[in-house]
Amino acid sequence: MKRVIVILLAIMFVANFAFAGGEQEATSSDSLKVGMVTDAGTIDDKSFNQGTWEGILEAEKDMDITTKYLKPVGTTEADYLKEIGNLYDAGYRFMVTPGFKFETTIFQAQDKYPDCKFVLIDGAPHNADYSVFNTAANTVAIFFAEHESGFLAGVASALQIKEGEMGFIGGMEIPPVQKFNWGFQQGVAYANENFDTKIVLNAENIIYQGTFSDVAAGQQLAAQMYDKGVSVIFAAAGGVGVGAINEAKSRAKSGEEVWIVGVDVDQYADGLFDGKKSIILTSAMKRIDTSAYDMIKAELGGSFPGGETLIFDASNNGVSIPAKNPNLDSSVESSVGDVFDMIKSGSIVVAAEQGSLIK
Amino acid sequence: MDYIVEMLNIRKEFPGIVANDDISVNLKKGEIHALLGENGAGKSTLMSILFGLYKPDKGQIKVNGQVVNINNPNQANDLGIGMVHQHFKLVHNFTITENIILGLEPKSGLFLNLKEASEKIRKLSEKYKLNVDPDALIENVSVGMQQRAEILKMLYRNAEVLIFDEPTAVLTPQEILELIKIMRNLTEEGKSILLITHKLKEIKTVADRCTVIRRGKMIGTVDVKDTSTADMAEMMVGRVVSFNVDKKEQEAGEIVLDVKDLSVLGSHGVRTLKNFSFSVRSGEIVGIGGVDGNGQTELVEAITGLKKIESGSILLESKDISDYSIRKRITSGMAHIPEDRHKHGLVLDYSLEENMVLEVYNRSPYAKNMFLNKSEIRKHADKIIDDFDVRSGEGPVTITRSMSGGNQQKAIVGREVDHNPNLLIAVQPTRGLDVGSIEYIHKRLIEQRDSGKAVLLVSLELDEILDLSDRIVIIAGGEKVGTVNASETNENEVGLMMAGVGKGDTP
Amino acid sequence: MKIKINKQLYIGLISVLLGLIAGAILMAFTGNNPFLGYSYLFRGGLMNIERIGNTLATATPLIFTGLSVAFAFKTGLFNIGASGQMLFGGLCATAVALTFNIPRELLLPLMMMAAILGGGFWALIPGLLKAKFNVHEVVSTIMMNWIAYWTIYYSVPAFFKGEFLETESRSIPEFASLKAEWLTNLFNGSFINYGLFLAIASVVIIAIILNKTVLGFELKAAGYNRFGAEYAGMRVDTNIVLSMVIAGALAGLGGATYYVGYASNIQIGVLPTLGFDGIAAALLGGLNPYGVMAASIFFGIFHSGKGFMNAMTSIPPEIGDTIIATIIYFAATSVLIERAMAIVSKKVKGEN
Ligand SMILES: Nc1ncnc2c1ncn2[C@@H]1O[C@H](COP(=O)(O)OP(=O)(O)OP(=O)(O)O)[C@@H](O)[C@H]1O
Ligand SMILES: [Mg+2]
Repeated sequence: MKRVIVILLAIMFVANFAFAGGEQEATSSDSLKVGMVTDAGTIDDKSFNQGTWEGILEAEKDMDITTKYLKPVGTTEADYLKEIGNLYDAGYRFMVTPGFKFETTIFQAQDKYPDCKFVLIDGAPHNADYSVFNTAANTVAIFFAEHESGFLAGVASALQIKEGEMGFIGGMEIPPVQKFNWGFQQGVAYANENFDTKIVLNAENIIYQGTFSDVAAGQQLAAQMYDKGVSVIFAAAGGVGVGAINEAKSRAKSGEEVWIVGVDVDQYADGLFDGKKSIILTSAMKRIDTSAYDMIKAELGGSFPGGETLIFDASNNGVSIPAKNPNLDSSVESSVGDVFDMIKSGSIVVAAEQGSLIK
Repeated sequence: MDYIVEMLNIRKEFPGIVANDDISVNLKKGEIHALLGENGAGKSTLMSILFGLYKPDKGQIKVNGQVVNINNPNQANDLGIGMVHQHFKLVHNFTITENIILGLEPKSGLFLNLKEASEKIRKLSEKYKLNVDPDALIENVSVGMQQRAEILKMLYRNAEVLIFDEPTAVLTPQEILELIKIMRNLTEEGKSILLITHKLKEIKTVADRCTVIRRGKMIGTVDVKDTSTADMAEMMVGRVVSFNVDKKEQEAGEIVLDVKDLSVLGSHGVRTLKNFSFSVRSGEIVGIGGVDGNGQTELVEAITGLKKIESGSILLESKDISDYSIRKRITSGMAHIPEDRHKHGLVLDYSLEENMVLEVYNRSPYAKNMFLNKSEIRKHADKIIDDFDVRSGEGPVTITRSMSGGNQQKAIVGREVDHNPNLLIAVQPTRGLDVGSIEYIHKRLIEQRDSGKAVLLVSLELDEILDLSDRIVIIAGGEKVGTVNASETNENEVGLMMAGVGKGDTP
Repeated sequence: MKIKINKQLYIGLISVLLGLIAGAILMAFTGNNPFLGYSYLFRGGLMNIERIGNTLATATPLIFTGLSVAFAFKTGLFNIGASGQMLFGGLCATAVALTFNIPRELLLPLMMMAAILGGGFWALIPGLLKAKFNVHEVVSTIMMNWIAYWTIYYSVPAFFKGEFLETESRSIPEFASLKAEWLTNLFNGSFINYGLFLAIASVVIIAIILNKTVLGFELKAAGYNRFGAEYAGMRVDTNIVLSMVIAGALAGLGGATYYVGYASNIQIGVLPTLGFDGIAAALLGGLNPYGVMAASIFFGIFHSGKGFMNAMTSIPPEIGDTIIATIIYFAATSVLIERAMAIVSKKVKGEN
């Protein structure tokens, strides 16, 4: 036993000298230190965390900043606050947090660390019982018009497929996911009316799985829908969506014609199978990366819009579908471009409420 | 002289005790060499060292004249040394063949060639007259056959030196005779045997030489044919041992235990005890005589509450206790020295003192308002250790698992006798004990009787039954064959009855 | 007795050392300086009073789950269900907090009672299944984890839904939280709360029960040798149930310290990993209540220091997580290896 320990200690020392070549501390002191605390899920979640982080990395390329993200132990407010404290103690004075779960956290952090800037994506700071909303002077709250994004994806899918059934798989039944769904339904309806497509959306194929993590359930739900004759599924569901994508891929490999509409970011690459084909028909994007990038740029330019609540929508290119997707005909892409302009100009208004829509 | 194994100046210490102190033993090829010593003398330790289970602190081991290092049982196997432990290491729902080849790498190919193995085992079994069915499941065969499977396991691995640690303690008298024959066959085929046993008769019968150990020290090695059992006993204990049991005539008193028409279902749903009736009165020892597996275990388990009865009644001092809980039976004045000391008798991971209050921990003075009274518990343990000469490394705080088998047994007997019960049920009370301890335990059982308590003795050793009992109830096939007064019978008669030949009942 | 405790401590320390070395090797191989890494790790956990408070707050529920696992283990039961018991205990406490509008002095004890009963009830079921039908508790407690998960999943939105959020309960009012202003202030705004005192009290009580009481003697006996305990007249079946219930009550109370102390609402769709970390804490703590507490605080340092280490070095969070997991599980399994070796040699001795 003792001998083993001695040997291990020796290895440790050797390893220490072997690898301790460079100082690893992030010590460059003048550049802005931009930190991020991730939400539940990994940094490469193909969604919020990844989008935010990509925006920050993009900014790092173009501007003089240092970056770091931290992953909390759990998903409670205390866990988030601890990581913000860690970044703060390490000298970070600009933090981006993705997701509504940070609302109460930022509400506290903006007062606790007044000399630090916060960007809260997809939420507005408020206290625990929603009695006080306050976006302090060092905080920017950012929202997206998911319904517009969903609308565009709906129009694009309908135009491309023309006839058949579509479905929707959501994660938890929460406003941003619901808005995607409602927008998608409106987009499909718009295409049926104005472009003569014949797409059916049955109520039984509009489903909220209930988590953002149950990959297996996502796969099952997708399989059921495809079996019932659905050809396109809009999956706004995190890990559940991953399951749906997997199901679509395995079906596509055996020759079935099935599609997924991606969410949040361009998921084209996730849908690749057999090397070059992808089952991602299009994606309903929120330009999270753009928003993070823009805020960092604003900060460095001295125009950080502290205290404001910003809406990223079609009018400021905050939502869109990917500019290019080989699965969409160029005619479809140009029609969607027209629709996009109409939303921008206000001649099409997409409702952000359920109204008479399904679920 | 060429020795196959030499253990030279072996020393081994455990916390608080020197288990082997400068012990040297050598084994000639083809001989049976007995190890004799009191409980805790260090016999098992010495053999465990040879088998690679412990490393000696000092000393040398030579095999065939070469100094060797034996670090684990596999190395021992490779050197041709095998060991049969007192408690077998067999997997119950495996066949004998599977058990034997377990742990052996297949020599060629990926799969075990079971057929080939089973054929080889059958041949070995015939050669040494072991009479083992290679395809039988372990759970379906007798203890004796299991032991023979263990022997085959050694032979299958080409062992030349066979170590037996108290092999006869678990066997019936008949099985012991068979084992003796087998050992002789083995030596005739050139194998050498190291045998640990407390039974001087057996040493006298099979062994060539005998090494005596006392309290970790070696007393000497003698030629068996030149030494009487009494001499050997004296060498071992250091004083003259009396083999005779002193017992005064005494009138028995009131009936303490009255069993009427008791029937019990066995593990496979068959009735293993059928309409069994007998009684034990105060001031007498009643022995249950019978061949192992004829319902003794079920009888005892029914009386002590470990097993449900099917019909009949059990009266303790005229109260029907047949649906009392075990605890209630204990508090009603029943004590039980169990057959299996590891399964029932001890919590092996508890200290000795904790085990000594296993049934009474919740009573005054050992408990006070739900709290244990450690000083009283210590006192209690010290008393038993003193009275029954329980030897261990660290006294009352010794973890019982580390104690020698015999000392574990003495501790249990001490605990149960110390309860001073109205009815003491003693099952194999002297199993694994040295002659000195047997003498003492016998004395204590008789004391119980003399002070007017009732004692029910279950033993496979006919001598013990005959020496201690006032009356003997003979059981065969789960039924009572008859009752005899010990003073009016002999080994022959009881032996016949055990085989199922009935006799007119004497009340 | 003294020697034995020291030996356990010794084994624990060696295991910790092995864990640290394993972590150091991992850091070195990912191109980081282990000494620097560890110095930030420990500073992150202990650098100032707020961080010490947070470390203790992180350790608090872990002490409970560790204690729960250790207690069950001592009595021969493998409680993998601490997570579920925690969850259900936490739900009960939250439910009380959100339902009754009574003074804090009454409300807090009532909430703790609810958590104890809830956790106990959640473990009662596996206990009964084991005692009556010999269903192995590993299977049934895992099952109960998921039943708790789904119970929370459906009951929180149904009964305690926040105004806007479907995924978590309403936040409990401030006066129903185990956090106390004086304590928060004393520790400079950390999350430390009354749960820590409950944890310390539980550790002491469990240690006393196990070592000094008639009940502990009986429960441990059944754990070590069921047949021996039966022989000695103990009611083994009742004791199994009792053991499970006590273990569950501990985890349930731990759930309260987590959901109404450390946090202030209960989230759906999350099975806390604390139940499993509790197994590691129990093992490293040598199943000794005080050892469990020490191990939990030790893990607490890591969990709360990790972020600072990541922030100060170039160690990516994923590697940071791996390093921490390596330290924790290496330490816990080193103890296990030592134990396994002890068991093997014991077995050998037992054959005599
Ligand atoms: N693993 C161990 N740890 C501590 N003490 C031990 C251990 N093994 C044996 N001992 C002690 O060493 C002594 C010798 O034990 P051993 O088992 O060799 O005796 P033995 O001669 O086989 O006795 P018995 O006839 O009762 O089986 C005993 O006092 C026992 O308590
Ligand atoms: Mg022995």
